[in-house]
Amino acid sequence: MPTLDAFLENFLVAVDFQEAVEVKAETKLADLPEWDSLAALGVIVMFDIEYGKTITGDDLSSCVTVEDIYKLLGL
Amino acid sequence: MGLSTLNNVRVAGIASCVPKRVLSNIEDCPPSQRAERERLVRNIGIEHRRICQEWQCFSDLALVATERLLDELKWGRHEIDALVVITQSPDYLIPSTAIILQDRLGLEQTTIAYDVNLGCSAYPFGLHLLGSMIASGAIKKALMLVGDKCATVRDPLFSDAGTATALEFAEGAPPMHFDLNSDGSGYKAIILPVGGHREPFAYHHGIPRRDEHGDLHWPADLILDGVAVLNFSIQRVPTAVERTLAYAGVQMSDVDYFVFHQANRMINETIRKKLRLPEQRVPSTLKEYGNTSGASIPVTISAKLRQPLQNGKRKLLLGGFGIGLSWGTCIVEIERACIQEVIEA
Repeated sequence: MPTLDAFLENFLVAVDFQEAVEVKAETKLADLPEWDSLAALGVIVMFDIEYGKTITGDDLSSCVTVEDIYKLLGL
Repeated sequence: MGLSTLNNVRVAGIASCVPKRVLSNIEDCPPSQRAERERLVRNIGIEHRRICQEWQCFSDLALVATERLLDELKWGRHEIDALVVITQSPDYLIPSTAIILQDRLGLEQTTIAYDVNLGCSAYPFGLHLLGSMIASGAIKKALMLVGDKCATVRDPLFSDAGTATALEFAEGAPPMHFDLNSDGSGYKAIILPVGGHREPFAYHHGIPRRDEHGDLHWPADLILDGVAVLNFSIQRVPTAVERTLAYAGVQMSDVDYFVFHQANRMINETIRKKLRLPEQRVPSTLKEYGNTSGASIPVTISAKLRQPLQNGKRKLLLGGFGIGLSWGTCIVEIERACIQEVIEA
């Protein structure tokens, strides 16, 4: 499993936010103004390409914080 | 079934026609949504799209493409044994657009003509359908017309096009290998829910609701589940490509070009990266023509591969995938074919 820091770096590239934003493990997805369906698609692609793991829309819907998404890697 | 091979079938030519009217996903977007749109365009890779005039149907574009192709091939109208139209935007719900085109094109009344209802996966399935008729010896020359009128001003993805592909019986032509699949459990992933017999169009379907951005949505609008389509595409397509190559006994390095349905940049780039293919062997027309549904494979061939396919022999892997859910892969060798530049009408 990658480190949380490495994951956060990939996460920021994947979501491709227009406005720079600080993201920590405990950051709530609902507090990220640009967390939307496009960002979710980016994260699904990142999981597949970077980590060889398939996640679904339901997996992402169950996540509250960025760390919850990180934890999907260990499932 | 799934995997199969057809012999003695040659792709004689391809022509693609798009509307003259160009939409810019950035310039034609309201300034208030510009920043959000720029991010979207960066991810879907679609800068410009083509949209029909109000009076124009998909079949009008396909007609122009077919007439040009027949003229360039010097095929007589009386030589055409079959005309299959693959579209989800027919002129009318009934009768078949192909039968109307039989008359408009001046083909003989002995021509086999009917429509097939497939979208983004159309091309490999159509090659298999008409190729089977030809390989069996039942017919000698056939036309496959593929495309859709699917563009709207609001939606940034879809773009209009009509294409024509000419197929003929040719003894000793290289074999075509196919892998064709269907998964109806995913039928809701891309659907026009209203207007068929499950839910006929009624008065209330014409009443829109306004979303949080102030945009109007109608109950009869197309529904597209982006996550489901993405996951379907990036899981199924690379596997199908590898399976088709193994079945055909063809190495990845033996294929000159991989021409995939042009869905959006995110999907197409993921497929390309998973297969570890270099960009030069995976032509793309997303930037200039968008997602032209079933027409995107022939449009990409017309726009990007005209020279190599006209002058020599190239091995292509074609991959169509989408609504249905439906996905098909085909390995085909094209040699000295009559490939027309993209035509505008």
